[in-house]
Amino acid sequence: MNTLLMWIVLSPLLTSIFIGMVYMWGLKYHKLARQWYIVPALISPFVSFVLACFVFWEILTQNNILVYKPYVWLSIENVDIYMGFLGDKLSILMVLFVSFVGWMIHIYASAYMQDDEGEGKFFFYFNLFLASMLLLVLADGPLIMFIGWEGVGVCSYLLIGFYFRVSQNVVAGNKAFIVNRVGDFGFVIGMVTLFFYCTDVGFDYASIKQVVGNIPSFTLAFIGLMLFVGAMGKSAQIPLYVWLPDAMAGPTPVSALIHAATMVTAGVYMVARFNFLYELIPQVGVFIAYVGALSAFFAAIIATKQTDIKKILAYSTMSQLGYMFIAVGLGGYASGVFHVFTHAFFKALLFMGAGAVMTALHHEQDIFKMGGLRQKLPLVHGCMLVATLALCGIPPFAGFFSKDQILLEAFASGHYLLWSIATLTAGLSAYYMFRLFFVVFEGKNYNSSRHIHRLSKTMQVPIFVLAIGSLMAGFIGVPLVLGGDNHIASYLFEWTKKSLHVEHSIEFALMGLSVTVALVGVVLAYVKFYRYDFKKEYVSKGIVYNKFYVDEFYHLLIVLPLQSLSSFIASRLDIQIIDALIMGACRGVIKGGRFVSLLQNANTRFYSLLMMCGVSVFFIYLILVLG
Amino acid sequence: MEIGILSVIIFLPMIVSFTLLILPFGVYVTKVVSFSISLVVLFLALSIYSDFQPIGTMQFREFFPWIKSYGIHYSLGIDGFSLTILMLIAIIIPCAYLMLWDGDEPKSYWASMLLIQSGICGTLFSLDLILFYFFWEAMLLPVFMIIGLFGSGNRIYSTLKVTVYTMFGSLFMFVCILYLGVSYYYEFGVWSFELSDIVNITSIRDGYRVFLFVGFMLAFAIKIPLFPFHTWLLETYSNAPTGGVFIFSSIMAKLGVYGILRFVLPIFPDIFVLSAPYFVGIGVFGLIYFGIAAIMQYNIKKMFAYSSASHLGFIVAGVFSLNMYGMSGSVFLIVAHAMATGGLFLLVGVMERNMGIKAISALGGIAKKAPFFTVYFAIMMFCIVGLPSTNGFVSELLIILGIFKFNYIVGIVSTLTVLVAASFMLWMFQRAILQDSDNDVSKMVDLGKKEILALFPLSVLIFVMGIYPDWFLAKIEPTIQHYLFDILKVGM
Repeated sequence: MNTLLMWIVLSPLLTSIFIGMVYMWGLKYHKLARQWYIVPALISPFVSFVLACFVFWEILTQNNILVYKPYVWLSIENVDIYMGFLGDKLSILMVLFVSFVGWMIHIYASAYMQDDEGEGKFFFYFNLFLASMLLLVLADGPLIMFIGWEGVGVCSYLLIGFYFRVSQNVVAGNKAFIVNRVGDFGFVIGMVTLFFYCTDVGFDYASIKQVVGNIPSFTLAFIGLMLFVGAMGKSAQIPLYVWLPDAMAGPTPVSALIHAATMVTAGVYMVARFNFLYELIPQVGVFIAYVGALSAFFAAIIATKQTDIKKILAYSTMSQLGYMFIAVGLGGYASGVFHVFTHAFFKALLFMGAGAVMTALHHEQDIFKMGGLRQKLPLVHGCMLVATLALCGIPPFAGFFSKDQILLEAFASGHYLLWSIATLTAGLSAYYMFRLFFVVFEGKNYNSSRHIHRLSKTMQVPIFVLAIGSLMAGFIGVPLVLGGDNHIASYLFEWTKKSLHVEHSIEFALMGLSVTVALVGVVLAYVKFYRYDFKKEYVSKGIVYNKFYVDEFYHLLIVLPLQSLSSFIASRLDIQIIDALIMGACRGVIKGGRFVSLLQNANTRFYSLLMMCGVSVFFIYLILVLG
Repeated sequence: MEIGILSVIIFLPMIVSFTLLILPFGVYVTKVVSFSISLVVLFLALSIYSDFQPIGTMQFREFFPWIKSYGIHYSLGIDGFSLTILMLIAIIIPCAYLMLWDGDEPKSYWASMLLIQSGICGTLFSLDLILFYFFWEAMLLPVFMIIGLFGSGNRIYSTLKVTVYTMFGSLFMFVCILYLGVSYYYEFGVWSFELSDIVNITSIRDGYRVFLFVGFMLAFAIKIPLFPFHTWLLETYSNAPTGGVFIFSSIMAKLGVYGILRFVLPIFPDIFVLSAPYFVGIGVFGLIYFGIAAIMQYNIKKMFAYSSASHLGFIVAGVFSLNMYGMSGSVFLIVAHAMATGGLFLLVGVMERNMGIKAISALGGIAKKAPFFTVYFAIMMFCIVGLPSTNGFVSELLIILGIFKFNYIVGIVSTLTVLVAASFMLWMFQRAILQDSDNDVSKMVDLGKKEILALFPLSVLIFVMGIYPDWFLAKIEPTIQHYLFDILKVGM
């Protein structure tokens, strides 16, 4: 049973290698039929999902933790770092929905990428992406996790820059990779610092858990903070979020995969995984929660003015991730993971819907050039409505339950400021999501003569399945006050905050308030954008539309100085100073040689003069010393 | 007198090279013979690898008197350090031959390559200081021939500059070697230049020992190169032919580090420990300085020259961090970097062969024309960047751990390595290889079967060593332990 953990990762990994080879073979010799890579690509996530189900069942019934350590990854001094896989309730829950949602996105992508010549390459990256994410989740220990962590990063680089012939796509990929590396800079510092406290016990989570108690609290806070810097990069929080909106350069299924199941949730998962560490440093936790709240709010504001359908969704992801960090920062790991879980369904669905809309309209991304799609794409319309409602937190859709738990968490722990930011953001989210929805599907000035691409069945099925998911996923966490059992909380009881006592009446009031705020947002969007008149050009300027000029600010503050420093070093310092000094010394030797060579002038009388001088000096020396 | 396997590895390529030069064979025969010889060496190296015992001491010893009256011996042996570099050379040289196969270089080029291989292996196995110096200088001659004859641009100036630079350093080392030999004679009454004898010298005053230390370090620092002795690097790398750059970057630079480990460390253990903070500092400074300098380079070879210097600084910092992590990381990075940089230079060589030398801004759109080229380029690049699951990551991680253990603040600075390479590599990759441009790259041809085959083992090793690092570390760990505990007496 334990070996299954490894096969969950190996299934997509081996498949991706196979697909890669098939693709390269096709480039060198004759192109093989697309079944060669489509079939394995679609089977491997399913295999992972089925294996995960087995493991899940085992964990649920036997109530134990599975660990599988195939070999020693690195053994140095007396520390053995194992290539280890850990299957516990948290990781296997993540694996379940990562592989399931990933599988759905694979199916969707197989139709979306059908006519693309790089399809084989695409599925090679896609399966590799999934494998990295599964390794990240299942890894037993931060170092092995880091392999998956970076694997996800490099796959996102490759996928964002998938259409690499256009320079701005590659620039977006570079940005994603480098900004993530800035996060990793912090993560590695945190990890290495932690490592030196674990040299006696090993570097898996169980061993780390033993020693965290002995680490001085200041150092521990530093470690926690540095690890969180990594999470900031991966999960796109302020100030390292800048890569996420640009990551839209890749094909739409990529965005679905990055935003829903993989990559961005890694940071939240990491904090939840290190719960035993963050529990000892609640101050850092509060900091994390505030970063989350600010990111949520900031992203929501930017989203209200964007016109690109994928960018709006990107900012909404950042905003929702902020919510998750509020939860995990305040110690509500179960609530955070619950939101990750529900978010995976409706965000994947939103991106698939957006992809469907874009396919139908020949890769149009500006929402103000869409409109009136309700009649044309009824299924997409219905499913998008479900997903939008889920994101806005309208009961009984999935997002309601998870978001409500986070708000409750913030309120109950007495962080009223956090709670108010989060509630306000809920209103903003409802506003910008319904703005998108109304403009795209209800806008009236749609030019009906335009040709609409038909959606293939292969694209409709995953959309439909995820719509059901967005509708149902919340029911595993219905709170007690609403007569539910809150299965997710009792399942993840280790990660649930113990002291969360709020009066039932207050809990009802909070729920009512958050729903009201969301409804206000919906109504505002309705008033402004329902039957939006497409004749007037949408004003796309202003500080909010330009994302507060943060990108330009970073460019000015970091990129330009680095480039000029580089030019200075390479063309001035190295050549005109260091090399000049060394070459100058050489010339000095040559000049010295010329001077000395004056003495060698082949003049016998001059030589005898020199001899005279030498002999005289010698005698004077003898007289002075001996005499 | 029995000839050992190490002597065969040294002299077989040399004899074959001279034979080829004398006999009237064509280029094709020369290539085939050279390649076969490199495979024979690989086979011999593999047999050494399997027979090698993971213990700290010298093995496969060969010891004959050479110049009896001055106690100079023909003394060979290997331990974990030399074994690692031997395996590296044995694997990458056949790959390089395959990559260079389609070039139009004449017979003398190939013969010189064989000579270089002899010189390198001799340097690697020598345990007698004079013998070491002999090979150290001898291996340079064919390299200078290659740069001077087959280089491009201002090749004569480059050759002169690198020759004077390295000779300058080596001469200091030679004087120091002689001084050590004379001191040994005064103290013990017999002549010897054998390393295991020289380390017993106690009669030299501390002040003089510092001078001797500096003399040795100067020779190695120029070869590596360490800041500020790096200014020969750019000229040489950009003007040398592919084979020359390949030898310089992936092997010769590493021999500088090897020289520090083999000779400086055992002869001056106390000064080595005392000077460690300076060299860690210089190494980490070099890492960042060269990394920043690389960003705005307009020529790929110059960018890789800076990139190499950056990583070599990091290697030196690891060596001087005085603990298991740093040292094993450095040895690992020597291997990882040689494979990746060597591969990259060979690939750039293919590009030059097809299109001539071009600035980064005059390239673009290569990925579309040459997918195999791009895949290999990306693998090597990500190894340099230090992506987990490549051996580049394992080595960087170990060195970071080592420097953290050495000094926490410097450790934090050294962690910048995760950013340094990424910042210039990805940008270059975008402009030169990926994005479409108006430039004419129609002459670019994708890698042929030979070249695909040549880089395949390197790419596989890059990943295998990243996924199972312990298999490789286990062979060298006892040697490093021996050095740390028995010689330096640190890290108990």
